[in-house]
Amino acid sequence: MLTETIASDEKVTTQDPEQGRGELHALIVEDERADAELALRVLREAGLSATGDVAQTPEEFTELVRKKLPDVILADYKLPGWNGMESVEILRQEGLDIPVILVSGALGELTAVECIKQGAADYVLKDQLGRLPESVRRAMREKALRQENKQAQEDLARSNRDLEQFAYVASHDLQEPLRMVATYTQLLAERYAGKLDSNADKYIHYAVEGALRMQKLVQDLLAFSRVGRQGRALENVDSNAVLQVALKNLEAAIQESGTKVEHAQLPQVIADSSQLVQVFQNLIGNAIKFRGAEPPLIRVGAESMGQELVFSVADNGIGIAPEDREQVFVIFRRLHTHAEYAGNGIGLSICKKIIEQHGGRIWVESEPGRGSIFYFGLPAKASIQQRG
Amino acid sequence: MTKSKPEILMVDDNPADIDLTSEVLAQSEGHFHVNAVNDGVEAISFLHRQGKYAKAPVPDLVVLDLNLPRKDGCEVLSNIKADPVLAKIPVVIFTTSEARSDIARSYKLGANCYLRKPGNLPEFVAAVQSMATFWLGFASLPQRGKR
Repeated sequence: MLTETIASDEKVTTQDPEQGRGELHALIVEDERADAELALRVLREAGLSATGDVAQTPEEFTELVRKKLPDVILADYKLPGWNGMESVEILRQEGLDIPVILVSGALGELTAVECIKQGAADYVLKDQLGRLPESVRRAMREKALRQENKQAQEDLARSNRDLEQFAYVASHDLQEPLRMVATYTQLLAERYAGKLDSNADKYIHYAVEGALRMQKLVQDLLAFSRVGRQGRALENVDSNAVLQVALKNLEAAIQESGTKVEHAQLPQVIADSSQLVQVFQNLIGNAIKFRGAEPPLIRVGAESMGQELVFSVADNGIGIAPEDREQVFVIFRRLHTHAEYAGNGIGLSICKKIIEQHGGRIWVESEPGRGSIFYFGLPAKASIQQRG
Repeated sequence: MTKSKPEILMVDDNPADIDLTSEVLAQSEGHFHVNAVNDGVEAISFLHRQGKYAKAPVPDLVVLDLNLPRKDGCEVLSNIKADPVLAKIPVVIFTTSEARSDIARSYKLGANCYLRKPGNLPEFVAAVQSMATFWLGFASLPQRGKR
């Protein structure tokens, strides 16, 4: 066995700024001890404070990887009974992200390319060992970047989960005290209207309005946080039927405003139908709310565009200025005062969240005074990811 | 058929809901009498006429919140439905919870109706009135008061 550690001659003096622990521990997969020592010497001469273990068999390799958690693997390609690329497979099975650099004799272009494809970080020919230090440094930099990325993604996912959990709990627990405020201010209004001094009616009215608006806000927040929490399995859905449900839910607003809704024959889609109802309902509801001087005319259509089914909801309303077209999808973002238009700025952000959960995208084309067209694209069947 | 005042047992830990419900029922035409208790243990004592409730009336309708101190609504519901006499009394679950699991569990345990407390006054009044009118007016129920 040739597994004893080859120690660094200058552990204390050399510090590589790119290495957190100021020292690089390599696992060298090599049947020629002299080659292993040469590789280490080259690294040290280039200023890397390197130590190393040598593994000759897959068993030794696995054991040393587990025990020493090396920073980098330097693997010969052709070994008695196995080849260096098997170490990549072992690392994968162990769930370890350790770069493997093949250090070998003539490898051949095709084999080399294949090895990189299979997950080797790089390959260095034994007669060009001068390239090794830079190759190691680059592999370490790439690994650090990968880990930073992974960490950032995990942090983001966790923070999103926390936020949704918070929104859910907060809005859920807010409902109960809010119900008390709403009901009892309404009772005050009913019992004591005109019986208190001249300002009292107005104050009570403000309190009732505030409570009712906050109730709507809390309910919408709950709906928003539910989009991620209660994902149901996607199913084949007739979007004509979905549109009809949305129109039925909007019946009062449609009649009151004299809205006309025209729609083409709409396709089948793979979606969560109740969420799709919500999307249509929010878009059409907005088209009615932000109407112009004319009675609202809303056209709903759909078109197949390559890998995407693109739905459109077009209106003749007040339109949106170019600089606001991204803003309207941001939660709580409103473009008008409460006196101009009621609302809390959650509706379109719910649409965006739903569509993105379906693997799609949503956007708007508009000109102020000339109406808006909201589009949302859903991926055609094959590319849809199942949700839990 | 002449009836004495219909007796309602309301189990709720929120005095504001008890007040409002009692007011709505007192003003409605059925002349209902509302008995209120604030937790599940009290509710069970009332129903079984234990201790200070020895002379309590047998309710014609139980209006039961789910989230209660000491014993929760589901435990009270199970207790009622396990008793051959009490089981005949209609139980309306009256709660803020809209969780599907609460709704399913309540019906599984034998609740006669699940009603969510509406968030504003007009709907709250309408819900309470229609609940009382339906269960104590239109619905045919086994003869009451028999033990």
